[in-house]
Amino acid sequence: MNRKSVTATLLAAALLSGAAMQSAFAAEEKTNPVPGIPSNTLEMWGGKDGVHEWAVALFHYIMLDTRINFLFKEFGNPERQIFLNTQLETMVLGGPNEYQGASMTAAHADLNINMEQFNAVVEAAYNACERINLHYWTCNQVIAALAPFTDDIVTR
Amino acid sequence: MKRNERAARTGSFLKAAAILAAGLFSGNAAAGFYNDGKVLLTGGVATIDGAGGGGITPWAVINGYGTRDGINGSLHYTYAYLPNYSLNSYGASVGLYDRLELSFTRSTLPTGSTFDTVGLIAGLLPGAVGDTGIEPFNTTIEMDVFGAKLRLFGDAVYTSDSLIPQVSIGGFYKDNKNKDLLTTLQAAKRKDWEAYVSVTKVYFPFSTLINLTGRYTSANQTGLTGFGYKDRTNGGSGKKDDKKEMRLEVSIATLVAKNTAFGAEYAQHGTTLDNVGVNLNGIGTGQLVGAITDALGPVTDVAGVSLDHLDDTLTQHEDDWYDLFFAYAPNKRISFVVAYAMLGNITLTPDQHGFYLSTHLTF
Repeated sequence: MNRKSVTATLLAAALLSGAAMQSAFAAEEKTNPVPGIPSNTLEMWGGKDGVHEWAVALFHYIMLDTRINFLFKEFGNPERQIFLNTQLETMVLGGPNEYQGASMTAAHADLNINMEQFNAVVEAAYNACERINLHYWTCNQVIAALAPFTDDIVTR
Repeated sequence: MKRNERAARTGSFLKAAAILAAGLFSGNAAAGFYNDGKVLLTGGVATIDGAGGGGITPWAVINGYGTRDGINGSLHYTYAYLPNYSLNSYGASVGLYDRLELSFTRSTLPTGSTFDTVGLIAGLLPGAVGDTGIEPFNTTIEMDVFGAKLRLFGDAVYTSDSLIPQVSIGGFYKDNKNKDLLTTLQAAKRKDWEAYVSVTKVYFPFSTLINLTGRYTSANQTGLTGFGYKDRTNGGSGKKDDKKEMRLEVSIATLVAKNTAFGAEYAQHGTTLDNVGVNLNGIGTGQLVGAITDALGPVTDVAGVSLDHLDDTLTQHEDDWYDLFFAYAPNKRISFVVAYAMLGNITLTPDQHGFYLSTHLTF
C-alpha cells in the first residue's frame, strides 16, 4: 500500500468513526427535532448504559448487512465506533455533550455514502431497538434526533 | 362489454404489466438502475387511483422503495366489498429516482341490486328507451386511470428539524368506459384529468405521518360516475356544470412498529350530481316515476316499500369518503392494507360502508 492510499484509508477510518479526531471540544451539537423529543427520553432508553447496549446491537446488525458492512470493515473500528456512538446518541437524546468524535460532515465527507446505505443503518437502528426491547415509539426519538444529520452523512 | 372480451383485456393488461415489471425493474437486466433502499413503508402503499399514498389519498412520497439513486416498480390490487357494489382496482407503477412516479390502474365496479332495478325499469318501460348502459344484471363500471407525480422538494422522512414537508404535484387522466351509463346518470364527461398537490411529513417524536392533499377535479365518485353534470332532459341542451374545484383530502397514520401503521383518511367529494336523477334517454326521473305509477295503477307499494319515495330511489347522492386502515409490510416485497371504508351514498344507493383489502407488491 503506498503512502497516499494509507493516508486515505486512515483518514476515511477516522472520518467514519471520528476515532482519530478525538478532541477536548465536542465537534457536534445536539439537534433540534420539531417537535422536540420528550425530556425523559434518555431515561426511557435506560440512560447512557442503555444507549451503549443499543450501540452494541446497532453494530452487530451493521456488520451483518452486506449493503454497508464493507464500509465498516474497511475503514472502521467497531469498538471505537460503539464508544463514540454511545456518546453521540446520549447527547442527542438529552444527555451531556461528551462527544469526542468528528463532526458528522467531516466524518463522512469522503465515504461517498448513498441514501440506500444510510437507510440500511436506519434499519439496523430499528433492529437494534428490537434487540434491546426498546419500544418502537421510544426508538423513534433517536431517529428524530439523528435525522438532521442526513445531509451531512449522505454525500452521493 | 362482453365478459369474455373484458376478461381477455384484463389478462392482457396483467401480462403486459408483469413483463414490463420483470424486464425493466428487476433482475440483472436493470441491476444498475434497480433500487429498493428506502425504509419499510416510507413509500406508502397504493391508492385506488394507483398513486403512492394511503388507500384513497395520494401522498407526496414516490411509490415503491427506490431512493434517489434508482428505480423501483410495484403492482397493486384493491378489493372493497360494499353492500351494493364491489370495487376492484389493479395496476402498476414505477418510481424513478425518488423524483417521478408513473402509474396505470384499472378500476372495475360491478354494481348490485339498485342498478339492476333501474335496468329492469328501463326494460319494462312502454316503448324503447334505447341503450341506457344499465342492464337488469351485471352492470359493471370500468375506468382506466393514468397517473404521474413529481416530487418538488422536501423530505417527508428525514427533515425532522424543520416543519417543511415533502411536497409533490401530480395528476390523473381518467377514462371511464361506460358512455351510455354516464349519460343516464347525467354526467357531463366520461374522460377528464385532475391535478393535485400533496404535502406529507413524518413526525418521529409522535411516530405519526400527516398528509394533506388538495385535488383539483370535477369527478363524481372519483370518476366512476363521470365528471360534472349535464342536464339531459331536453336532448342534452340544458344546464351544464363541469367546472373543476379544489377538494381537500387528509391522511393521518400512526406507526406502531417499523412495519405496521394504523390510520384514518378523509376525502372531500363533490356535489355536482347530488340530487340529480337518472335520465333514460330523455325520460327524466319525474316522467319515469309517473310512467311507473301509471303502469302499476292502484299498487302503492312493492314489497312493503312505498312508491311515494320512488323518485328518491332514482335520485343520486354523493358523500365525502372516510376510511380507517391498518397497513402491514412484512418485508419490502409485499404489504397488506385492511380498511373499513365509509363511502356514504354512491349514486343511487345509500350507506355504502364496507371492508377494503389491498395488497401492494414491490420489486
